[in-house]
Amino acid sequence: MIRELLTRIWFLIFRKKRSEFDDELRFHLEQSIAVKVAEGTPAAEARRQALIEFGGVEAAREDCERQRPGWWLGTVAQDIRYAVRGILAHRWFSVAIIATLALGIGLNTMVFTLVNAVLYKPVSVPGGDRLVSVAGRLPSRDESSVPLSYPDFLDYRAQATSFESYEAIDDERVILSESDNPPHLYHVANATAGLFAMVHTKAVLGRAFLPADDRAGVEPVVVLSHKVWLERYAGLASAIGRTVRVNGQAATIVGVMPKGFQFPSGVDLWVPLIPTADLAKRDNRQLRGYAILKPGVTLRQANAELSGIAGRLAKQFSADKNLGVSVLTFQQRFNGGNIRTAFLLMLAAVGFVLLIACADVANMMLSRALSRQREMSIRTALGATRRRLIRQLLIESVLLSTVGGVLGLGLAEAGIHWFDLSTQTIRPSWIEFSMDFTVFGYFAALCIVSGLLFGIAPALRSSKPDLAGILKEGARSVGQHRGGWLSSVLVVFQFALTLVLLSGAGLFVRALLNSLSINAFVPANELTMALLQLPGNRYKDTDARQRFYDQLLPRLRELPGVAHAAIASDGPGLGANRRQIELEYAPIANLAQRPSVAYVVQSPGYFETIHLPLLEGRDFNDIDGTAHHEAAIVTRDAATRLWPGQNPMGKRFRLYDDKNKASEWIMIVGISADMVQEIQENDPRPLLFVPYRQEGWDNMAVMVESAGDPLQAMRTTVQSLDPELPLNDPARMRDALERQTWFLRLFGRIFLGFALIAMLMASMGIYAVIAHATNSRTQEIGVRLALGATMRNILLLVMKRGLWQIGAGLALGLGAALPFAHLMASLPFGMARSDASMFLIVALGLASVGVFACWLPARRAAGLDPVKAIRYE
Amino acid sequence: MPTSTDLLQGTLDLLILQTLSLEPMHGWGVAQRIQQISKDALQIGQGSLYPALYRLEYKGWIKAEWGNSENNRRAKFYRLTAAGRKQLESELQTWDRLSTAIGLVLGRTVEASR
Repeated sequence: MIRELLTRIWFLIFRKKRSEFDDELRFHLEQSIAVKVAEGTPAAEARRQALIEFGGVEAAREDCERQRPGWWLGTVAQDIRYAVRGILAHRWFSVAIIATLALGIGLNTMVFTLVNAVLYKPVSVPGGDRLVSVAGRLPSRDESSVPLSYPDFLDYRAQATSFESYEAIDDERVILSESDNPPHLYHVANATAGLFAMVHTKAVLGRAFLPADDRAGVEPVVVLSHKVWLERYAGLASAIGRTVRVNGQAATIVGVMPKGFQFPSGVDLWVPLIPTADLAKRDNRQLRGYAILKPGVTLRQANAELSGIAGRLAKQFSADKNLGVSVLTFQQRFNGGNIRTAFLLMLAAVGFVLLIACADVANMMLSRALSRQREMSIRTALGATRRRLIRQLLIESVLLSTVGGVLGLGLAEAGIHWFDLSTQTIRPSWIEFSMDFTVFGYFAALCIVSGLLFGIAPALRSSKPDLAGILKEGARSVGQHRGGWLSSVLVVFQFALTLVLLSGAGLFVRALLNSLSINAFVPANELTMALLQLPGNRYKDTDARQRFYDQLLPRLRELPGVAHAAIASDGPGLGANRRQIELEYAPIANLAQRPSVAYVVQSPGYFETIHLPLLEGRDFNDIDGTAHHEAAIVTRDAATRLWPGQNPMGKRFRLYDDKNKASEWIMIVGISADMVQEIQENDPRPLLFVPYRQEGWDNMAVMVESAGDPLQAMRTTVQSLDPELPLNDPARMRDALERQTWFLRLFGRIFLGFALIAMLMASMGIYAVIAHATNSRTQEIGVRLALGATMRNILLLVMKRGLWQIGAGLALGLGAALPFAHLMASLPFGMARSDASMFLIVALGLASVGVFACWLPARRAAGLDPVKAIRYE
Repeated sequence: MPTSTDLLQGTLDLLILQTLSLEPMHGWGVAQRIQQISKDALQIGQGSLYPALYRLEYKGWIKAEWGNSENNRRAKFYRLTAAGRKQLESELQTWDRLSTAIGLVLGRTVEASR
């Protein structure tokens, strides 16, 4: 076997000399002649017979040569040389093809890189391809995931054999404070001590966690992310050993992690998860599990094993009854559902762009195939087989697509960089938009497949020339109509796909326009907003928090330039919490059938601050929300949805929290005008407002209406009351609202870009086809003109085919766009519902561009000088 | 009566290997020998003999050396290699199996192949 291979390689490298065959042949013939002479044939006749017996000497020589391992490499090299010559000879033609393909392949590679990062690529930590997320699962509630309790986590860790390591994290936002630095809110991971060891990452300065760091009663330590170290401690080594306060509790900084390390996602600080009595409760679920699978263990096996453990726990502990467990990759856990749909839609869209590009190139090649018929006929006449011709043509097209692809790779790189920057603040930190081997594999496959895709039809066509006809008459009058239908189909197909893309882009644009026009009454440019989180250890109950705000709000209102100030759980249009509602005198026993409502918690004065008019009743006062004075205000929309046909004033209802605990009965004291609170929801719930005193949340948004920039004054005021309280995520309302629609902006821009490129390509395609057809009919048009055809006749004659193609394309595209638009409208980012007017606008726009592209060559044809046209060669 | 029988695909290789297993030979000799032994039933088309020889050589089953012929002319002699001998054995076995099987299907007794 090996010997055979070596022999082959030997002959691959060392070719036999040509003379060897000649010598051998000569000997053979001599023998043959000798035998014949011996039989009595004259020498000359013997020689003749011997040669005849042998057959074609040259054919035998070629046959022998063909036995050599790798002989075909030589002919491929020949074909490549020939292809390069062909590409260079038709320079502008080739440039047009390469540019089209660069765009098509580049965009595809870019989007595939994004999709790969979001849906498949392992997280870039050591062992990232085996990294999984572990969470509880509620089979009773659509398999939705819930965090784990600490005792459950410990049981899984003790019993599971699928994991190499298994750690848990409680995510939190905490205030980091110290004497000479302003307090700041950070994303902290309260992690079990093995977290860093699990992903094999060491501190760049100081140390990461020690195994003893998460024992009860030890000195609390803090590990900083590189970012926080640079921003807060100016990258000084003296940060190590510093004592800071985490939510007011003393802790020591012991280490700094490497740059970019924010495991599992966007973490600023790591603090050991020290068990407390509270944490030891089995129904206190707040941990997320992270694990590295043992090599060779599949997700399915791990899920099976852990489900077994979950079953045992469910029998053993009442708190774990009906609780399952799921092991998923990060992508499956965090990027499922709508994100997946959005990115796959983007991949589909860009796939359309490539198909359109290929159709364009195929059309260009087809038009060239006609002018190449002569060349093909000559090659066929010289003995080239059809296979050989097709192979040569396909090599040419794959070569073109590869050159285009390599250029496109640069384009893709730029696009990925842009997308990376655009999503930096929004995406989870573990997603890295960069190319990997999967992407390169995809890219290479794309180059070859698209080369074959656009090359195959033209190659089949031009390799089958009508030999005699073409050599005799010249290519001009032959084959014009034979190829027509294929070009037409390609153009129709292009227009159909473009319409689909344009409708997609149209939906995004419409949704963006919608988002700009909602809540027009809100003075978004004058409102400044910041989040305040009152740490639980210093603000123990609602009263303490209420006292703080009772002091804060009057002071804010007295600031110079400030018109109004209030607190609310969420700014206008920035989302809301939801709860299930039960109306008085209309009890609903079945939990699942209780309607849910969206609600905003707020202080008196919120309506004035956001300029939402009160239509009936009154704003909250300082008594609302105290015991026996539970109150609420509803929007008019909520009123008609909850109490259709009745006056809701004075009606009562109650809300149910996650644990199905009912609130007190709440009375409606006012009705406001309508507003959109849940921009990103497809199915916004009726909106209610309740007083802060009633809920007393620790995390509220402070809103101030002021002409100038009140942020500094706000901060001073807050910190004059509590020096350890930072203002978090301060923003102008305008910016905060824009952040809500980032998805629409980003994907809208991408879709619009794709759609415009597609439209350009499709119109180029139809232009090229019509122009080519017109060109080959120049003589005919000349004759028609000479016989008295009017300008109108000629325009119609030339444009008829184009108009027909556009019409068919639009009809087909409309059929495909409807389900596509339906799918897009299901995205929960405030996507607009598709409606007829949008399709009409898009179709009309595309039609006029297409007609213009047909009109250009038609106008030229109509303006021909008949005398010249008839002589046109 | 047909002058030559069309050889089954791959059978030519087997015949050449078998012929060369007796002694090293040049191309002309191989053709003559096969014709002779088959009592003129098998005439090797000379146009296909040399490609076959080249193919076997490229596979490393036979080896070519220049030597002197009976009448003292320079000729290319082919010789079976060890790999070629092994190949011949396995091909002979295959042939036996095949011809037995075909014989059974056709209802002929096949003593000859033993």
